[in-house]
Amino acid sequence: MTRYGMLIDTTNCIGCFACRTACQRQNGLAANIDYIRYEDRETGTFPNVGFEVIPIQCMHCEDAPCVSVCPTGASYIDETGTVRVDEQKCIGCKYCMAACPYLVRVHNPETGAVEKCKFCAAESFEGRGETCSCVEACVTGCRIFGDLDDPDSDLNKAIAERNALPIAGDRTKAKIFYVR
Amino acid sequence: MTYEPIWGSIIAWYLFLAGLGAGAFATSAFLSWRHPEAVTMRKIGHLIAPIAVGIGLVLLMVDAEAGFANPQRFFLLLGNFGSVMSWGVVFLSVFMVVALAALVLDFLKRPVPGWLENAGAVLALCVAVYTGALLGVCQTFPLWNNALLPILFLVSALSTGAASVLATSIIRHGEEFNRVGVLKKFHFCLPIIELLLVMSLLFITQSNSEAGWASVMALVSGKYALAFWLGLVFVGLVGPTILEVWLLFFSAKEFEESRLAHWLSFLSDAGVMVGGFLLRYLIVVAALPLPVAVPLF
Repeated sequence: MTRYGMLIDTTNCIGCFACRTACQRQNGLAANIDYIRYEDRETGTFPNVGFEVIPIQCMHCEDAPCVSVCPTGASYIDETGTVRVDEQKCIGCKYCMAACPYLVRVHNPETGAVEKCKFCAAESFEGRGETCSCVEACVTGCRIFGDLDDPDSDLNKAIAERNALPIAGDRTKAKIFYVR
Repeated sequence: MTYEPIWGSIIAWYLFLAGLGAGAFATSAFLSWRHPEAVTMRKIGHLIAPIAVGIGLVLLMVDAEAGFANPQRFFLLLGNFGSVMSWGVVFLSVFMVVALAALVLDFLKRPVPGWLENAGAVLALCVAVYTGALLGVCQTFPLWNNALLPILFLVSALSTGAASVLATSIIRHGEEFNRVGVLKKFHFCLPIIELLLVMSLLFITQSNSEAGWASVMALVSGKYALAFWLGLVFVGLVGPTILEVWLLFFSAKEFEESRLAHWLSFLSDAGVMVGGFLLRYLIVVAALPLPVAVPLF
């Protein structure tokens, strides 16, 4: 089985927002719509201080609240474990936006439907085509995409080596792992 | 990070109208049981129920923009019975059928059978409770994610529904209004129960998380404080309670049945309805999410 996931090493993130820009270009999004949002904070105490930027996007949860509340079945989990929105089924009720603990679903005012990260990095990972996803666009190589079910994948090795964890513990069995 | 509410006043209007319509039908069913002679008021309830819920449903469809632009997608709404919203669609659809059937029978001057009245009352309760459960299952918002909300919305639905029937009957059927004492006494209790539930909701929510604390503070001392204290608590709950206590228990019977007292009662019912809307609106917009990576507040 394939079960896609991602690692984001925020210790290398410089906060340039190239991942968001690439995502907007890749998915043809308007400037006011983004599938990646950022949280940031100052860390440490003077004189040893730092600044942490944390890119947040759809976590492709295995226990996805958006999927369980969607009344039309537009939100679903595909065979690779990727959480998707079938825009032909979405009525735009925004129930999924209210249920998502990560606040990463966006309402597209043009279509009226709800959208979010589609894990488009899978396309180049599978060799199905050229993409410039968040993974490829990251200038400091913070992001690793891969198959969580493949024990030898770079992703799984990096998760183990860097002790990466989902952003909010095991709240929803998220499949994006963070190094902080 | 700044947070903008996901739903706004359209959804608040929908939640309010669905509750009010359900409560109006429940009031009719109550009248047919305890005050069978109050025929006009029962018909008023049957009239308000489908109109209020119908307007609410139109608002709901307008708010769901992708469905409004592609109405065939609404047929998919029964696609996931793990979703409270799908259950809501079932309750609302069957309730509308029953409420319209009762309305048609009234217009044809045929009696509404007891079983239809009772079925409608049960469905009305389901609709009212579902509007609370709809928000209640969203784990992200501590102000919603608790077992009090469905009960609070149910009590508010019964209260606003009864208020709508009583207020409408005052306009032209004062005589009948004078004779529904049991309904008035039940109706009088509801804002008191509601006040208790609102207080409990805020008390528990402020203690369970920072997001819960911030949501409660936005209501009691933050940007929604005026609407909360003046609108919901005073106009919607305390004011009607004071007026009704006076009218029901401390005024002479002749005064209680005078037109002036009727219009005071009308004022109290109008207040209950204002409070019912503000309850939904404030709970929808004041809810703040649990933090994801960085504490928000």
